[in-house]
Amino acid sequence: MTFKEALESGKFVVTAEIGPPKGTDISETIHHMELLKGKVDAVNVTDNQSAVMRVNSLSICKIALDHGLEPILQMTCRDRNRIALQSDLLGANVLGIHNVLCMTGDHVSAGDHKGAKPVYDIESVQLLKIVDALNNGRDMMGNELKGATNFFQGAVVTPEANPVEPQLIKFEKKVKAGARFFQTQAIYDIEKFKEFMGFARRFPVKVLAGFVVLKSAGMANFLNKFVPGIKVPQELIDELKAAGKEKALDTGLNITARHIRQLKEEKICDGVHIMAIGMEDKVPIIMERAGLL
Amino acid sequence: MIITKQKDRDKLMECIKKHDKFFLIGCSECATLCGTGSPEALDEMEEFLKGQGKTVTGKLVPKTGCQTLGTKIELKKDKEACDAADAIIVMSCGAGTQSATEIFPDKPVYPANDSLFLGNMTRFQMFDERCSLCGECVIGMTAGICPITNCPKGLLNGPCGGMSDGNCEVSPDIPCAWVRIYERQKRLDNIEEMKETIEAKDWSKGQKPGRLYAKKQKEETKG
Ligand code: SF4
Ligand code: SF4
Repeated sequence: MTFKEALESGKFVVTAEIGPPKGTDISETIHHMELLKGKVDAVNVTDNQSAVMRVNSLSICKIALDHGLEPILQMTCRDRNRIALQSDLLGANVLGIHNVLCMTGDHVSAGDHKGAKPVYDIESVQLLKIVDALNNGRDMMGNELKGATNFFQGAVVTPEANPVEPQLIKFEKKVKAGARFFQTQAIYDIEKFKEFMGFARRFPVKVLAGFVVLKSAGMANFLNKFVPGIKVPQELIDELKAAGKEKALDTGLNITARHIRQLKEEKICDGVHIMAIGMEDKVPIIMERAGLL
Repeated sequence: MIITKQKDRDKLMECIKKHDKFFLIGCSECATLCGTGSPEALDEMEEFLKGQGKTVTGKLVPKTGCQTLGTKIELKKDKEACDAADAIIVMSCGAGTQSATEIFPDKPVYPANDSLFLGNMTRFQMFDERCSLCGECVIGMTAGICPITNCPKGLLNGPCGGMSDGNCEVSPDIPCAWVRIYERQKRLDNIEEMKETIEAKDWSKGQKPGRLYAKKQKEETKG
């Protein structure tokens, strides 16, 4: 079953994330793929995440495909103009990549090439419209294509943005532009997420809740302070603190598993997206504890 | 107006090191308001160059440095001083500097300033960029606030995921342009407009180098 079929069938889907390496040694990346194979429904491959230059998303998507994983091509608008984006989309499709996640992309000032010229010729809503056009056999200018693409296109949303209203308006625009599924920024407060889902459920799209495992109380505080759109509630921070240094990571895994289990049991959303950020080996553990394996 | 700041003096000296005698040109408009091309700034530059063992043959603050023809006429009275100089130092924006390039085909011309942006003066000598001269203004659809300039990514359809408590991901000193647009649309009771997708921009409208013959265009519009 493909990722799209899984979502459409009503299965509670799980996606994970692969961050391409900085350099040509892909042995660790392949090791992570082996860990995730047969367990998750698809893997996102990030696109120069945090504006740090790495192997491109497209190549690692192809390698994932060759290793039996279904890739989701993350595409940001930071580094390519509309010609390059469309050309890469066509290229991805002919390589057998059928899922794409359209994003704006972190600003170059966050990365390791701060003097780079940021592109943003188009942005996420417009990119979704382009994917829709390509799926209908035309480029964004209306020129006919010899062979249409068949992408299943998604987008991102930050349910805990403050203020949230402009973010929800953009969510609506993304739906109108053709987004079929959404993956969210990491969430930690299920009650608040339910509120967001109350809004999102008014639209014919699938939503995967984002997860980043908390390794310690310190990490939680860091996320609260420095990562936009992430709010870790105090009781979780207290829980991690109470667990002590030795047990903190294990507690973090339990928290994630507990939340995922609740989302699934209460049918709050359609699946989850686990961003392991270097702890890919923990993804199967989380899935097991959440009752998904 | 065009916002300029003085170049680092070491960098300027590096550029002009092979010359000894200079004529200085300022500008009474933007560069004077910025304090980079005013009569005082030219005096100060003259003192500095003298201190470096150089000679200043003369100086002029033309009315509008970027008005090439007018500046050329104003410079007529300084012909001798100009002839005596081996190079021209211009203390205005890059446009004013290139007026001098055109006026002096046989003399090297050096900018003393860096041109930064088209700015609004919010208080005395405090400048903020509000417009990037993109060639086709969209702020009729964005509550009169330019997202191309005020958002570091120039996004046209709402805030990115990096917005934090109303501020931009690039710096907490930048209010997120899309939160500002949202607040203003709300105030104007116009939130519905924010739900409309703005199409990909036609950047060819701002193709470089820009050129406009306003008189001819006016005649054409009249038909
Ligand atoms: S939309 Fe273009 S012309 Fe209008 S204010 Fe912004 S940059 Fe200037
Ligand atoms: S936070 Fe707001 S102003 Fe900053 S890049 Fe994102 S949308 Fe633009």
